[in-house]
Amino acid sequence: MSTRIETEIARPDTVTIEVDGRPLSAHPGESLAVALLAAGIRALRASPRAGGARGAFCFMGACQECVVTVDGRRVTSCLEPVRAGMRVRLGLG
Amino acid sequence: MPDAIDLLVLGAGPAGAAAALAAAEHGARTVMVDEALAPGGQVYRAPPMDHRQLGQRALEPEHRDGEALRRRLQCSGVEVATRHRVWSLLPGFRVHAIGPAGHRAWVARAVVLATGTTERVVPFPGWTTPGVIGLAAATILLKSQGAVPGERVVVAGCGPLLAAVGAGLVKAGRAPVAVVDLAGRGEWLRALPAMAARPDLVRRGLGWLAALRRAGVPLLSGHGVVAVEGDTRVTAVRIAPVASDGTPRAERVARRLEADALVIGHGLVPATEATRLLEADHRFVADAGGWIPVLDDDCATSVAGLFAAGDGSGLAGAAAARLQGEIAGLAAARHLGQLDEGRYQHTVAPLRQGLARARRFGQAMARLTAPRPAMVGTIAADTVVCRCEDVTRAEIETAIASGAREMNQLKAWTRCGMGPCQGRMCAETAASLLARHVGGREAAGQWTARAPLRPLPLADMVGEFGYDDIPMPEPAPP
Amino acid sequence: MSACPAYDCAVVGGGVMGCTTALWLARAGMRVVLLDRGSLCREASGVNAGTLTMQMTRAALIPYAMRGWELWRTTADWLGMDVGTRVLDGLSVAYTEAEVGMLEARASSRRAAGAPVELVDAARARDIEPGLGDGVRLAGFCPVDGFVVAYLTGRAYRGALLAAGATLQEGRAVTGIDPVDGGFALGTADGGRVEARRVVLAGGVWIQEMASWLGVRLPIQCLVNQLVVTERLPPVMRTILGVANGKLSLKQFDNGTVLVGGGWQGIGRGDPRDGGAEIVPENVIGNLQLAVHAVPRLRDARVLRVWLGYEAETADAMPVVGRLPGFDDAWVIGSVHSGYTSGPYIGRLLADAILERELERPLFDPGRLAGR
Ligand SMILES: Cc1cc2nc3c(=O)[nH]c(=O)nc-3n(C[C@H](O)[C@H](O)[C@H](O)COP(=O)(O)OP(=O)(O)OC[C@H]3O[C@@H](n4cnc5c(N)ncnc54)[C@H](O)[C@@H]3O)c2cc1C
Ligand SMILES: Cc1cc2nc3c(=O)[nH]c(=O)nc-3n(C[C@H](O)[C@H](O)[C@H](O)COP(=O)(O)OP(=O)(O)OC[C@H]3O[C@@H](n4cnc5c(N)ncnc54)[C@H](O)[C@@H]3O)c2cc1C
Repeated sequence: MSTRIETEIARPDTVTIEVDGRPLSAHPGESLAVALLAAGIRALRASPRAGGARGAFCFMGACQECVVTVDGRRVTSCLEPVRAGMRVRLGLG
Repeated sequence: MPDAIDLLVLGAGPAGAAAALAAAEHGARTVMVDEALAPGGQVYRAPPMDHRQLGQRALEPEHRDGEALRRRLQCSGVEVATRHRVWSLLPGFRVHAIGPAGHRAWVARAVVLATGTTERVVPFPGWTTPGVIGLAAATILLKSQGAVPGERVVVAGCGPLLAAVGAGLVKAGRAPVAVVDLAGRGEWLRALPAMAARPDLVRRGLGWLAALRRAGVPLLSGHGVVAVEGDTRVTAVRIAPVASDGTPRAERVARRLEADALVIGHGLVPATEATRLLEADHRFVADAGGWIPVLDDDCATSVAGLFAAGDGSGLAGAAAARLQGEIAGLAAARHLGQLDEGRYQHTVAPLRQGLARARRFGQAMARLTAPRPAMVGTIAADTVVCRCEDVTRAEIETAIASGAREMNQLKAWTRCGMGPCQGRMCAETAASLLARHVGGREAAGQWTARAPLRPLPLADMVGEFGYDDIPMPEPAPP
Repeated sequence: MSACPAYDCAVVGGGVMGCTTALWLARAGMRVVLLDRGSLCREASGVNAGTLTMQMTRAALIPYAMRGWELWRTTADWLGMDVGTRVLDGLSVAYTEAEVGMLEARASSRRAAGAPVELVDAARARDIEPGLGDGVRLAGFCPVDGFVVAYLTGRAYRGALLAAGATLQEGRAVTGIDPVDGGFALGTADGGRVEARRVVLAGGVWIQEMASWLGVRLPIQCLVNQLVVTERLPPVMRTILGVANGKLSLKQFDNGTVLVGGGWQGIGRGDPRDGGAEIVPENVIGNLQLAVHAVPRLRDARVLRVWLGYEAETADAMPVVGRLPGFDDAWVIGSVHSGYTSGPYIGRLLADAILERELERPLFDPGRLAGR
């Protein structure tokens, strides 16, 4: 079962993005954090001091837990819209 | 060169949008800035581009109101600068932002701050595990993104969003494993008189509860989460009944719910970094969410020309935010000399009445949503308080025991609050812990707000430049 | 004044200067009270860049800075706490003809003063600092630079002062000082009064105001220094890196955060000492451009925080450390360029002077600048 709600939403056709070198289908415009969640990717990075697994938490750009690198830039994945071909690197150290 | 404008509105939620529309209507040259992709703020957050809401979804009140608001803005004189992050606000109202095309700056004669809130969660073991998300965060997933946080979801915390999120999950075909409410039935009953102010919203809330009941979702009132199990993802949630002080009793685990996600929230915290940056006066009002700017009836702060509205100036909900925003916009127009006193008073009088009613309801909800004061006292020693820097309660207590007496000192000694969230996730907890030792929240103080208001990529800050473009000051003494 | 004042010495101002002085006085057996209107080391001494630098220290202060550097390395021994001190290679680079000139002049005067500064070419500089970008013409290399985690200073001194038996009065602003028979009476903002045989004025940029309480005019300029810190990053550099004109000071802490400084200025609202100060966004951007020019990988970082701190500067850019003119028992300490580096040493020297011990090195007579 997907974490995307399939009823009553018409999404644009999926595009391919790359996550740590592997291809992933996602809908353009949806939040990258949501696309990762839908792919079952929950742990996005390791906390810097204790090394604990962290994932998206506030979904509004405040907590910074979902920061990943997209095309070389560090971004909050919850606010980052999916674009075809975007290259994502998780911060799992 | 900065653009000279009359009014800059920061935040395009219900408060900011209402302020901008009202001021622009009276001729103020108004720019409204928001980092989101589209106006609407949290409650009216727009769906992603080209994602169409159909059927019932398209009829949800927030969706409809949000679309209406965006249409109104389009036909208004307001310049809407979305995807712009304001990183610096200076007196005389010089405002600096970064957007997709680089730096932008404005000089405004007046400013309305409508920056909304961030979510509050009181730490418990396992709250940093991937799969634990905020309760308000879940509304973004459900409403704007059309997603659910997992397949077996526990919804916990306090306040009306519990039922809203629970019902949202039912509708999405992923009925939650349980809805766990810190409040007992008595607390909800006590809120009834204030709720009578908004029978429509009460009906809606009852509808959510009915949907949960129909779906057979267990509703555990007077219970709270004591721990989450799982290392790299949530595997189970342990819950326990709350004691008389409102704290879940960790030693009395009642149930262990297998789950892959926990949605949890203990209320909202007004985002005051902008009012603090401009050194407006603040006061601590627990029921309003914590530190809030001191406002008069015209939404004016202690800084001339600076107004604040919406949940960022004290929690009162979306309806109050809209009314307060409108008052702030009108007051700004009056301040700018674009609205005379008589017309101003005439226009705001009914708004103030509506605001009082909306506030009664919103503040009752905020009280139900606030964490129980005793909860921070029960945080375990080895539980992380500051997520960014992995600072535990024990480290905070050690610093306090070795003499840290106010928030900035506590931060320096522990790094609590020094990470990329800039203290947004831990300030309330750290301050509450410190307050227990120094005689209250006022004595504990607040972290000094600094630019940038959001973490900013250096690449965006510096742009493309050559060595000769750097505005080099005089060399240091030889 | 009571026949026997409660304290042998009152130190006003708990930055690195006041704290060090108070510490050694207390350890020598004096009854010391240290008053600060805030918490210890929350002004310059807690918000500074923590760079231990010879290349940016004024040549005349090099011997003091070298001793300070040594003390910072050994805080666990004499201060009772590790304050995160690291010894790193220091590199000062020149990108333009003019900067090459400055570099050569600075390096030779500092070498003459005892700092082991050596000029190296771009290739060697790149070996020392692989994070360097292009365009370096010449570099000064000094192996005795380093850093301290400045925000831990207060915590360390606080423990040490209490252990030494000093009385700490934090959150207590002094509003005036009167010479009285047998010492001084200090008035405080809470309406209190503290009496001591001696007084040390250690108020950072506020020593001008403090001296005026005793009728002495001691002009002190207030610089508004800007610092910028990034979030934690994987290692991008390994030195204390500067530009020869002094406008960049860059380093990466153990935790991965990178601190960008170099004395770029914020702006005071009137006198910043009274009215506060604010950032100049163009200066934030300029400082960051210089940092990115020096270490291009910083482009990938995110900025978390910009702040300002107040640094004292005299007309001749040299310290004021010694007796306040006209008083036997009133002392002043401050306005030391790169004063954090040398603070632990200079504070100790002043304590020695107060204790009438022989001085290892001379103080810096405030009389040369003071008037009445
Ligand atoms: C995640 C979340 C979800 C919520 N969901 C609901 C809900 O479903 N129903 C409900 O009734 N209430 C909800 N709330 C409560 C919400 O606070 C109010 O309902 C309402 O949105 C408040 O309106 P506002 O205009 O005061 O602030 P907001 O709607 O929060 O708007 C503030 C805006 O300011 C912008 N902003 C702030 N700082 C900056 C900056 N430096 N640069 C650029 N932009 C900036 C933000 O992007 C945001 O769009 C939610 C709150 C949160 C935090
Ligand atoms: C941003 C910045 C970066 C710097 N970077 C470096 C660096 O990298 N390396 C280096 O070597 N040096 C650096 N310096 C210089 C260095 O920080 C200072 O020289 C040194 O810390 C000064 O110490 P101080 O004790 O004289 O003053 P301060 O640390 O300013 O202490 C003065 C104290 O007096 C107190 N006070 C003031 N008025 C009163 C009153 N009325 N009553 C009671 N108490 C009062 C204040 O609260 C304060 O605690 C920097 C300075 C700044 C501002």
